[in-house]
Amino acid sequence: MSDPGAFNSYYPTFLRYIGTAIVLALIIYLTYKGLRKLGVKTEAATGVALITPWLIGRILLTAFPILLSFYLGFTDYNILWDKPKSLQDPLFNYKHALAMKIVTFDKDERVSVAALGKLDAEGPDVLRYRELGNVVIRDKRYVIAATDVFLWKGIWLTLRYAVFSIPLGLLGALGVALLLNQKIKGVGFWRTLYYVPAVLPAAAVALLWFWLFAPNNGLINWALGPIYALLNSEKLGWFSDSNLVMPSFVIMSLWGVFGTNTVILLAGLKNIPPDFYEAAAIDGAGAWVKFRRITIPMLSPALFYNLIMGVIGALQVFTQQAFIPTKREDGWFVNWFLYNEAFNFGHMGYASAVGWLYAVLIIVITLLVFRSSSAWVFYEGSREKEAGGA
Amino acid sequence: MTTESSAQILTYDPLARRRQIQIIISRIVIYTLLLIGAAVILIPFVWMLSTSLKTEKQLFEWPPRWIPDPVVYKNYWKSWEQLSSIAPGLTFWRIIANTLFITVLAMFAEMFSSAIVAYGFARFRFKGRDVIFFIMLATMMIPGTLTRVPAFLIWREAGLLNTYDPLTLPAWTAWGPAYIFLLRQFFLTIPREMEEAATIDGASTAQIFFYVMLPLVKPAFLAIGVMAFQGNWNNFEAPLIYLNTTQLFPLILSIQFFQQSLSKEAPKWHYMMAMTVMMAAPILVLFFAAQRYFIEGLNVGAVKG
Repeated sequence: MSDPGAFNSYYPTFLRYIGTAIVLALIIYLTYKGLRKLGVKTEAATGVALITPWLIGRILLTAFPILLSFYLGFTDYNILWDKPKSLQDPLFNYKHALAMKIVTFDKDERVSVAALGKLDAEGPDVLRYRELGNVVIRDKRYVIAATDVFLWKGIWLTLRYAVFSIPLGLLGALGVALLLNQKIKGVGFWRTLYYVPAVLPAAAVALLWFWLFAPNNGLINWALGPIYALLNSEKLGWFSDSNLVMPSFVIMSLWGVFGTNTVILLAGLKNIPPDFYEAAAIDGAGAWVKFRRITIPMLSPALFYNLIMGVIGALQVFTQQAFIPTKREDGWFVNWFLYNEAFNFGHMGYASAVGWLYAVLIIVITLLVFRSSSAWVFYEGSREKEAGGA
Repeated sequence: MTTESSAQILTYDPLARRRQIQIIISRIVIYTLLLIGAAVILIPFVWMLSTSLKTEKQLFEWPPRWIPDPVVYKNYWKSWEQLSSIAPGLTFWRIIANTLFITVLAMFAEMFSSAIVAYGFARFRFKGRDVIFFIMLATMMIPGTLTRVPAFLIWREAGLLNTYDPLTLPAWTAWGPAYIFLLRQFFLTIPREMEEAATIDGASTAQIFFYVMLPLVKPAFLAIGVMAFQGNWNNFEAPLIYLNTTQLFPLILSIQFFQQSLSKEAPKWHYMMAMTVMMAAPILVLFFAAQRYFIEGLNVGAVKG
């Protein structure tokens, strides 16, 4: 596409930007006037009027898109078309995403795509089952087949990444926070230093680590050189090795995540009243008991906050994957998979359906974490309430 | 006083001696761990800088050289020249202008709209306010996978694809729940008498907001400003979806475009690292200049998050 020139690309947007501000200000004003006319009290009318920008934004740009994507999930919609086409089988996209089956072969039999069969649904394309993995039990080979193997590989990668990166990130941050909470010289300096990786753009971190992990000239493989020599092994391929894609992403994430989590945990540690520890010391509690019975419970709200943020972040990795091209066969993070499905391959209907499925999965996982919180998160306020009630 | 005298007693007590030795050992352990952590953080940084100053030949030197010889400063502009040779018109200054245009507009709109909405939630009682506030917080959990395709279609329908509108206009609608939450927390700490006094003096709600309330929450207001600048500067997904013409690309998208244009066999890491340093530098400068606000934003979010 041709270059419209800098000025020509800025000023129309700038005008509409100013226009949007004026329209929203007018809406705030008119909402207030309208509500007053209807006999609403000044206070309530002002309050409602002030939150209208948020309301309008969420209705137009959140609620409506969510409903629209629900509808699109039941259609066939290529990005090049003006309108979605209806599907003979409305659930076709969902079947495409979820269809899975196990096919049994003899142990030495060759697994052929033809033997795996086709998806039994009326749709614009004929979808074949493909092998996702197989297990041999006794003389039989059980092949797990799915119609969209890349999706399942993506989900598998994303979930494993979450399971490893979140607890490791939390533990590491807890360790650093405890370290920085000691009486050390220049806490400010150390805290700043440890926080720096967290402020870097995710894209910068990704590019830097892609280079550090470069198989042939990367710093990490150079540093591991003596170990390779000792074990007489080949250099590791990191992001280019199917088995190491997930660990590589986890290691990279740990470098970036310490800072934010540490700062929050450190603030939590500072909030624990010192008399708790003094009282425990008088009762003869050792360091471990103090840590287990005072530090952890008092820190649990901060840990919980980090956990929730970690879950939301890990399940929506996007930028890192964009700057670190790994093989599609090794699985792409689901968010990146979906972007490509919709905008590079043009399957907007399918991407909407899977987007819905994945959103449900994320929300269920987040709610499960929330549910678990009552068992281990300790709020001082609620304890006081109980004491007051008794 | 007490510590001094107790220290004097301690030196003559064999048991206390052992304690002192324990303390010294724990000091050594603590500082060793801190230094290891510092090395883990700093070595990649040094490597990034070192790479950005190398010639292409030096990239493949084995063992790697830490201090480049010669030091090639010109990578810092050669990389952009290389990029504009692929995408005519996409010069360094054009990229900076694009990035600042998006970042400043979106940041400014986010700051003001969040403050207005937060003020509404903090100070005025109306039916259903707390429910709406809870829904507002819950929207933080809605994944982008749900709204990405339809949002794209809405902007396409409006004929505004390949413009900066999708990246800036919605910022007026207070799209960051965390910012609203943070500002509301601050508004809640301000005594109501401040507004009552202003009302008696005949100030309107708008006047109270701009002249009384906003100055009082300045630290939080600047904190979200810093966060919004960082967020928009680092935003990759939205420009990737909405912009097609290379000349419109902001920094982050230009770098990805450059990366993709390079062959897998000869990735020009010296250029890539020079660009990465330049992408990270403004954020790092901002962080060192306004560290207080970064940390403030994090902590308020954490206390009741």
